[in-house]
Amino acid sequence: MKMKRIFKNTALYIGIVSTLVATSCKPEIEGFQTTPGEANFSKYIAVGNSLTAGFADGGLYLEGQQVAFPNLIAEQLRQVGGGDFRSPFFSENERNGSGYLQLKDLVNGQPVMENITDNLAYREPGKLSKYTDDVENLGVPGMRLDLSKFGPFGAANMYFERLLQDGDVGTKTYMDFATEKNHTFFSFWLGNNDVLGNAMNGAVTNPEDPTTVLTETATFEHAYREFITKLTENQQKGVVATIPDVTAIPFFTTVTRGTLIAAVKAESGQDVQDLYIEIGTGTSRAASDDDLFILPFASAGLLGNTSGENPAPYGLHPSNPIESKYVLDSDEVTAIQARVKAFNNIIKKVAEEEELALADAHAYLNRVQKPGIVYNGVAVNASFITGNAFSLDGVHLTPMGNALIANLFIEAINKQYRSRIPKVDASKYRGVRFP
Amino acid sequence: MQIKKLLLGLLLASPIISWAQGSQVNTQGQKAVGMAGAGSALFVDETSIFYSPGALSKMDHNAVSIGASAVMYRSAFREFNSNDVHHTKFKISPPFSVFATFGPKNSWWKAGLGVYTPFGGSVDWGDQWPGRYELNHLQMRAIYIQPTLSFKLTENFGIGGGFVYNVGLVDLSRSIPTASADGTPGRAELSGMGTGMGFNVGVHYHLEDEFAISLSYRSQVTTKLKDGDAEFTVPPALAASFPNTTFDAELPLPSSFNIGLTFPASERVDIAADATIIGYSVYKELVFDYKDNTPVLEDTKQEKKYENALSAKVGVNYEVCDRFDLRAGGGYVYSPVRGPYVSPETPDNNRIMGSIGFTYDLNDRWDLTGAYVFQRILERTVTSANTGLSGTYKTNIHAPGISLTYKW
Repeated sequence: MKMKRIFKNTALYIGIVSTLVATSCKPEIEGFQTTPGEANFSKYIAVGNSLTAGFADGGLYLEGQQVAFPNLIAEQLRQVGGGDFRSPFFSENERNGSGYLQLKDLVNGQPVMENITDNLAYREPGKLSKYTDDVENLGVPGMRLDLSKFGPFGAANMYFERLLQDGDVGTKTYMDFATEKNHTFFSFWLGNNDVLGNAMNGAVTNPEDPTTVLTETATFEHAYREFITKLTENQQKGVVATIPDVTAIPFFTTVTRGTLIAAVKAESGQDVQDLYIEIGTGTSRAASDDDLFILPFASAGLLGNTSGENPAPYGLHPSNPIESKYVLDSDEVTAIQARVKAFNNIIKKVAEEEELALADAHAYLNRVQKPGIVYNGVAVNASFITGNAFSLDGVHLTPMGNALIANLFIEAINKQYRSRIPKVDASKYRGVRFP
Repeated sequence: MQIKKLLLGLLLASPIISWAQGSQVNTQGQKAVGMAGAGSALFVDETSIFYSPGALSKMDHNAVSIGASAVMYRSAFREFNSNDVHHTKFKISPPFSVFATFGPKNSWWKAGLGVYTPFGGSVDWGDQWPGRYELNHLQMRAIYIQPTLSFKLTENFGIGGGFVYNVGLVDLSRSIPTASADGTPGRAELSGMGTGMGFNVGVHYHLEDEFAISLSYRSQVTTKLKDGDAEFTVPPALAASFPNTTFDAELPLPSSFNIGLTFPASERVDIAADATIIGYSVYKELVFDYKDNTPVLEDTKQEKKYENALSAKVGVNYEVCDRFDLRAGGGYVYSPVRGPYVSPETPDNNRIMGSIGFTYDLNDRWDLTGAYVFQRILERTVTSANTGLSGTYKTNIHAPGISLTYKW
C-alpha cells in the first residue's frame, strides 16, 4: 500500500515537474501589434465580379465561396475591428452550386476533366436558388463595369438574379445594389470582364451578347468614377485593384502553336509545319508564336478535321483556318493589352485622387507569370494545373491564389491607411486537387 | 499540350538537413557541462578522451563513466506580419556518452575508448505551420566512436590522439504542395544512415598547481549517406512522378580547434576558460542525389554558405569539501549561419548559455556528477533565400544531465 502511494506521488511529482519544465522551456516571441490605422472596418463590403464571389474551376460552389479573397480579408479584419462578413453561401445540400470542373485523371500527362453534376443549386434550368438575405460579399460572376448601370442585366445574369428580391429583377442595377449597404469600408475589383469577355471569345464581338463587347475607355472611366463616387459618398475608405493582363493567365498561355503542332505530329505522324488561323479582319494566315489560343480549344477536338463542305484539314490549311473565336491573334493581343493599360491608368488615377488603397494585381500576376514566385517553399506561377495559383478554368484562382491576392490587398490597405492587418497564412490553402 | 513538361512547376525544393550549430549541444562530460563547456585543461579524467586527449595519460587511475542528458530544444516562429506564433512540439533528445580508460597506473601511457554524440537533435514543427513545405520534422544523431592513445612526454606534458568513426542517422519529413481529392497536401519522408571517419588530437601541459593549458583539434568528419529511403505520399495520379526511391547525400561535420586554460583562484576555487573555432565554412551546399529521377524529382542542390563559428566559455569549480564540488559557468557562441540561410531545422543565431553542476564522491570508487545548462538562441528575423519564408525565430534549450563514474 505504502509503496503504491509513494509510487503514485512520485508519478505525480514527475508529472508536475515535467509540465513545469515543458512550459517554461517555451520561448515567447512578442506579438504583432494590430491596428486599424485610419480606416474603419466595422462594415466591410466587397464589390466585384467572379473573383470577388469566389468562382473557381469554371463554377461557383461552396468551397470556392468560403475561400474567396474578400472572405479571407474579412477574417483578418476581425483583429482590427472588422464586423460580420456574410456571403451568399450555397447550402450544404446545394454545395456544388452551378457545378464545376474537377480533374479526373492524368492520362499520359494529359488532364482529363469531368463536370460535377450532383448537389447543384438550380431551382430551374438557368436559375439558381435565391439568396436575398443581407450580404457583404457582393461579388457577382460575370459582372462588368459597363453593365453595372444596366437594370435588365439582373434578369440575364443568374448569379445577380439570385441575389435580387423578386420585384427588383431586371430593374435594379448592380451599382445601386452595391451602394446601399451603409458600409464603412469597401474593396472594389471590377472591370476585368470589360476586357476578358471579349478576349475569351477570341476578340470576336457577338452583337447578340453584350458580355462579349470590349468596353470603350470613355465608358469605362465614366462608370468607374460614378461607382467610386457613390462608394465614397460618406468619406468611406477602400481598396481598388488593377486589371490583370490577358497574357498572365493560363487560359491564354497554355495552348500554343508549338503544343498544337506537337500534338498533331504525335497523333497523325505527319510532319506539320504551320497552323492557319482566321485573324480579326476575316482573312487567314499562318500562326506565329505571338498568337494566343484559348484553353478550351485544346479539348474542342477540331484540329485536322475535314467536312463535306471543306475537305481541307481544319487549322492545317489556309482555306480552313482555326476560327477567330479560338484565337487572340498578335494584333488583337496588342489592342487588348493597350485597353487594359488604359483602364489601369484610370484606376490608378482615381485611387490617387480619392486617396484609396491600390492593390496592383496587374503587376503582381505578371510577376507570378514571369519569373514566378516562391511562397514559403511553394513554387507559384501561371502554369496550368501545376502553378498553384490558377484553378482548372485557367482564369480564376485556387484557394492558395485567393490567399495570395488577399495578402496583396492587405498590404495595400496597410500601406495606404497605416493599418496593421495581419497577413493570411497562404500555405494553409491548396492549389489544384489531384485525383 | 504537354502536361508532363508543365509538371515541372511542382518541382520539389530540395530537402534540407544541416548539422548546424543548433544541433550542437555539447554534453559529452557533465563536469564540463556544469561549466558551460569550459574545463578542457582543468579536468584530467576519462572525459579527456573527448576534451583533451593529451591529458588522458596524466590520469593516475582507470575509470569508466556513463552519462546522458535530456536535451529539450524548443523553438518558436512568428511569420512576418502575422500574429500566430508556432512552437515546435515538446521533444526530448537523449545524447549519451560512455568513456573508459585502460592501462597501467602511473605509467607513461594510457588508452581509452569514447562513444559519444557530438551532434544531434530533434525538432518537430508539425504539418500545420507556415513553413510546412520546408520542414515537418527532423531527427538526427551523429554517434562518434573514438579509440584513443595518450602519452606523457614529460611529467608535465602529455600528447594524445584518437581515431573517430562516425555513424550518422537522419530522419525528416516535409509537406509537398500536391493537394489530394480531400485537399490535404502530400508528404515526403527521407531517412538514412551514413558513416564517416576522422581523428582527434591534443596536447596538455601543466605547471604544478599553478596553471594548465590544453590544445586539441577534432578533424572534419564527412558523413556519407548511402541508399537512404525516400518515400512520397502523393495523389495516385502523380505517383509515377514521385516514385519511392533511395538517395545519397554527403554531410560534412565541421572540424574544431579548442584552446583551454585553467588556474586556481584560491585553495578551493579553480577557474577555467575555453575558446573554440568551429570550421563550419566547409558547409557550402547540400546535394541530394535521388536514384530514380523524374521531371519533378530531380537531384537538388541547396546553398548553405556557412561561415566559421567561434565560442567562448568560462567556468568556476568550487571544492566545497573533499567529496563535494560545485560549479557554474557561462558562454557565448557566434553562429555560423547567415540570415538568409537560417532554416527551421536549426533556426540558428548567436547564443548565450549559463550552467550549474556538481560532483559528489559517493565513495572511493563511485562519483556522481550532475549538470544543467540553459542556452538561449537569440531572437532572429530572417527571410529564407531558399524558400522565401520570412519571420522571427527564437529558441530555448534546456539540458539537464547526469553521469556516473566508477574508478579503480
